[in-house]
Amino acid sequence: MSEKIIEGVTDALNAEAVTAASQGEPEWLATRRAEAWAVYEDTPMPTTRLEEWRYTDLEEKLDLAALALGSAPAIADDPAAYPAEVREAMDADHEASGHLVMVDGHVVHTDIDDSLAAKGVVLSSLKAAVETHPELVQKWLATEAVPATEGKFPALSAALWTDGIFLYVPRGVRLDLPVRVTRYYAEEGVATFSRALIVAETTSQVSYVDEILGAEMEKQSLVSTTVEVVTQDGAQVQYVAVQRMGKGAFYQSHQRTLAYRDSTLDTLNVNLGASVSRVDLNAQLLGPNANSDMLGLYFGDEDQHFDHNTSQDHVSPHANSDLLYKGALDGKSKAVFRGIIRVHPGAQQTDAYQTNRNLLLSEDAVADSLPNLEIAADDVKCSHGATVGQLSEEELFYLQSRGIPKQIAERLVVMGFLGEVLSRLPLGGVVEKVTRAIDEKLHGPALLD
Amino acid sequence: MSDTPFLTIRNLHASVAEEELQILKGVDLELKAGEIHAIMGPNGSGKSTLSKVLAGHPGYEVTEGEVHFQGEDILEMEPDERSQAGIFLAFQYPVEIPGVSIANFLRTALQAHSEEELDLFDFQDLLLEKMELLEMDPAFAERPVNDGFSGGEKKRNEILQMACLQPALALMDETDSGLDIDALQIVANGVNKLKEENPEMTVLLITHYQRLLNYIKPDFVHVMFDGRIVESGGPEVALRLEQEGYRDWKEAEAAG
Ligand SMILES: Nc1ncnc2c1ncn2[C@@H]1O[C@H](COP(=O)(O)OP(=O)(O)O)[C@@H](O)[C@H]1O
Ligand SMILES: [Mg+2]
Repeated sequence: MSEKIIEGVTDALNAEAVTAASQGEPEWLATRRAEAWAVYEDTPMPTTRLEEWRYTDLEEKLDLAALALGSAPAIADDPAAYPAEVREAMDADHEASGHLVMVDGHVVHTDIDDSLAAKGVVLSSLKAAVETHPELVQKWLATEAVPATEGKFPALSAALWTDGIFLYVPRGVRLDLPVRVTRYYAEEGVATFSRALIVAETTSQVSYVDEILGAEMEKQSLVSTTVEVVTQDGAQVQYVAVQRMGKGAFYQSHQRTLAYRDSTLDTLNVNLGASVSRVDLNAQLLGPNANSDMLGLYFGDEDQHFDHNTSQDHVSPHANSDLLYKGALDGKSKAVFRGIIRVHPGAQQTDAYQTNRNLLLSEDAVADSLPNLEIAADDVKCSHGATVGQLSEEELFYLQSRGIPKQIAERLVVMGFLGEVLSRLPLGGVVEKVTRAIDEKLHGPALLD
Repeated sequence: MSDTPFLTIRNLHASVAEEELQILKGVDLELKAGEIHAIMGPNGSGKSTLSKVLAGHPGYEVTEGEVHFQGEDILEMEPDERSQAGIFLAFQYPVEIPGVSIANFLRTALQAHSEEELDLFDFQDLLLEKMELLEMDPAFAERPVNDGFSGGEKKRNEILQMACLQPALALMDETDSGLDIDALQIVANGVNKLKEENPEMTVLLITHYQRLLNYIKPDFVHVMFDGRIVESGGPEVALRLEQEGYRDWKEAEAAG
């Protein structure tokens, strides 16, 4: 009998690591991890032969065998001990209902408004929630949203996650201010697996902003995050992730949103940092009048690589989804967008749209866009569109003819182009932060503040 | 009006940068400060090209000749430098800039024209005043530049920008086309008002029609044909063109 080669099992990522991660955990969770690990072992490493990975060659981009598991100690829950970037990001924030701070995979701080806590709102580390809210975590963690069977990375995450974010909003409770998460990754040469689980009960409402920061890295680290968002009937959730990690990082995020009857579940993924950024986002429209706006923004420079893989699953009739992903690419950066709208049999009166637009700022930048439709119902409104364009000479000349120097003219055009995305989900503070971060990448000083 | 040459164009030749297509074939023109000149000419004679070359459009290459503005050679200057030096082009076809509001655009432009930091309240006052002059709804300021505007709205927006930037030289390329008679009067009044406030402002009007010249009275009228100025005179030239068109030149061209 020949020895079976199990892809992706390394000195650090192996069955012993799963056992270690399960230490002290309830039986159900240890079992779930072990089952996930079995799926991982049985799942081949994605290659470019798979349509969904055609443009991101893991063999070239990710050296899994070189990664250890994160071992940085948890820092103190004291702003003075936080990395400067975390403090700056939090200082620049507007008001919030609650905060969570995560550094190198450790949740080091959580707070939530007292009156909300009294109403049963929970914002905590996922690890803590296993103890405090076992029934909720058991019901939703890696089950209906992103189970291990989704793929190689979801299986790895379900087996080896160390901590994460748990947000629970009980029936009818509405949060006026967003919940803000600030994360920071600096440990080099490691793999970190975190998860976010957000459950919004019937007619509740919450917005969640996850700011993912990090240091420049000489040795690659894998920052893996799995995101599960559930909106029950009539609930409203806004999920925002702003990834501004340092170069050197491989950011991998697998996200699924479950939108039930009459709910609104909007997402915004902003990707500005990391060397490689791969986001899989699947929106499930599971009840009539469910509505998902799916927004995305990316800005690449140097040799950054972005891969967005989205899908809109219209399982229920009479639901809407509207996707708009826009990116600007400078330097030698590359972006691929692959999106599919799937209208399932019987999902009549679906309204589903998908648009991806790219602006190339340099001759060496590349964008590939692959929109797709798969429609198994006849009474639907669906459209998809993709463009890849360059800065228009006429637009720049027009602005310059008003006295605006070329560099600032370019900045205006780029911000105007990308601004459409932010204006669709203008959460307090996010627009300003993202605008400033893009300014920094454009190297151009803003003429106005 | 002073006698010093304000804008001197000599033997200007220009072609489309990428195609070696010659469009301007030796334009000569001299404007003194404070004068109003009109250029008329059939479609395709090179009027817009002349205006864009003066503003520094990178799509055209000057192959011969020179342009001096207030004594300075401007041909090597970037478009933004020319604007800052006081040249303004009201485009025949204004460009849409999606996602950039008129207010943000104009504030950026005015800041670029100013050494000191622009006061936000002063800017807002200026913008409102000029919008009122051109009978524009203040809500317009928040709309993206020219995006989804009607032809008339675009033209009015050009003059709004001109009013805010207060140029020394205004090149107005067919600002009258696409305007109905009411809008034409508003725009013309706006230009005349600016001229009253700043008598030294020099204007070069490009138009097809005598109509505009009833409202903005030129001191000189030039005829452009096939990339050259072929006749210059007083306002009577415009009246004659209105009657006769460009027959003489067309016949001459046909005769070779
Ligand atoms: N960028 C360009 N590329 C190709 N042809 C051009 C370009 N710009 C102008 N032309 C040509 O040059 C001639 C003059 O154009 P234009 O200056 O717009 O004339 P006018 O404004 O007098 O109607 C026309 O034949 C036009 O087609
Ligand atoms: Mg023209």
